[in-house]
Amino acid sequence: MADFGTVGYGMGGGFADGAPGIPGKGSRKAPPGVFEEARLSFNRRAMSWYGIIAFLLLWQLAPYAGITDRDFIPPLSVVAAEALRLAVGGELFLHIASSCQRVLIGLFLAVLVAIPAAVLLAGFFPRVTRFLSPLLALLGNINPFALFPLFILLFGVGEGAKLAIIFWSSLFPILNFAIHGVQAVDPTYIKAARGMGADRPRIFWKVVIPGALPSIFTGFKMGATTAFLFLIAAEMLAANSGLGYLVHNASLNYFIPRIYVGVLGIAILGMGFTVLIDKAEKLVLGHKEEAKAG
Amino acid sequence: MNPENSRAENGQGPLLRLFYKFGAIALFVLLWQLACAAGLAPETFVASPIVIAKTLWQYATDGSLYRHSVISLSRAFYGFLLAVAAGVPLGFLLGGWFRNFERVMGPLLYFLSQFNPFALFSVFLLLFGIGEFSKVAMIFWVSIWPMVHNAALGVRSVDPLHVKVARSLGTGKLRLLWKIVLPSSATYLFAGLRLAAGTAFFMLIPAEMMGASRGLGWLIINAQVNYQIPKLYTGTLAIVVFGMLMDAFFRLLERRVVVWKEAKCQP
Repeated sequence: MADFGTVGYGMGGGFADGAPGIPGKGSRKAPPGVFEEARLSFNRRAMSWYGIIAFLLLWQLAPYAGITDRDFIPPLSVVAAEALRLAVGGELFLHIASSCQRVLIGLFLAVLVAIPAAVLLAGFFPRVTRFLSPLLALLGNINPFALFPLFILLFGVGEGAKLAIIFWSSLFPILNFAIHGVQAVDPTYIKAARGMGADRPRIFWKVVIPGALPSIFTGFKMGATTAFLFLIAAEMLAANSGLGYLVHNASLNYFIPRIYVGVLGIAILGMGFTVLIDKAEKLVLGHKEEAKAG
Repeated sequence: MNPENSRAENGQGPLLRLFYKFGAIALFVLLWQLACAAGLAPETFVASPIVIAKTLWQYATDGSLYRHSVISLSRAFYGFLLAVAAGVPLGFLLGGWFRNFERVMGPLLYFLSQFNPFALFSVFLLLFGIGEFSKVAMIFWVSIWPMVHNAALGVRSVDPLHVKVARSLGTGKLRLLWKIVLPSSATYLFAGLRLAAGTAFFMLIPAEMMGASRGLGWLIINAQVNYQIPKLYTGTLAIVVFGMLMDAFFRLLERRVVVWKEAKCQP
């Protein structure tokens, strides 16, 4: 069915399709400007990499141009070679695995404590929450570093103290945001649900929890960021594996490229983790999409 | 923590408000003291509040608290100031004006923000030496990111209609920035300031690990190494108090400056 109406409309597309001789079929299959579109969307996606690529290029070339000191900031290729050497030996994956394990356990414990506590406090005991919130603010301001001796006392020098540092540093963002999220649920929704005869557990699961979830996710992301921040610190204090240990050991031995391997490894790990959380958030909060844009 | 809540219940008596504000902390301190007195918490690891208060008083009277505080505050202040000076313009650029700038620079800045300050520790030492600057650089590196993030959010929250109206009335670029963009994004900017200041204080301890010989962070680390537990808790308390005072100061400033807008509730 030759449809000549589309030819004029999709001139560019029809020709770019490589089938100028058969105007009808060619233009029907490929909507106008499809290549243009693809090129643009590729460009749009690639653009987010331009900055990083430029930065990495600069890193590689700066020592040769004499802008930076080769010994202090070795070119990227040297760092990459070192990473490769560590990866081939399997050592790198061991460090990554043990760092991941610590962060995941620490965060899991923090979530396990913070979210039920926050929902319980803010959802059922608003007065108690108000009473406790100055104390929570105070405790959240205490640096986990300063508590390290206490953690050693309570959990020993092994994994326990490190997990406690991660737990402590991620607990308060998660807790505070979750409390805030529950408090910020629109009372109209609760009233509406009650008016339609929903009982308490139903209101809780259908209104309060979904309403608080965006804030809970924000808190979780902040908690994860601080967890990664302090993971490295904890591993520098006392550990014999993990990316923090890798960096610490390298800096003690003045093995500069290895420091950067650790720094990059931590950055990539942190970014990957955030991407995963974002994906999970999108999956869970699909219904929130429009409200958030507004 | 929750301005809306406290404002809504301002009608209650001042005594009750005081109770809500300090009750939990007082109770916590009391329980802590009782636990120490009952021997539940071993003295080698946990100092009782009375001992901490005594140590604090001793440091306050012999002037060492003042000496350490001044140096720490100036480090935190310079790091914070640099972070604000660099972070606000960067955030504004990211948030508006040039869309492509955000697309290109956004991921890079995010990538850089993941560079762990503790891991960069030795790099900072190598680059800047063990002087003041490496400490300031470390504080700067951590506290710039919340500032950038919030400034970008703030610019995005500006109502485009306001900008269009102002522009059609013939407002120049600088005036537009001063009259529309800054006031509209003020809540976010203040949130960024508070976060950046908080982070700056938080980073004092690790920053002063780097070959300092004075400062509250150094006090804590020195106490830790020598196992002087009361001193450790005293230094921690001082940093917490300074951090919270700073937070309160910025909240107050926000309320004074942003008089036309309800304060956003942010934990």
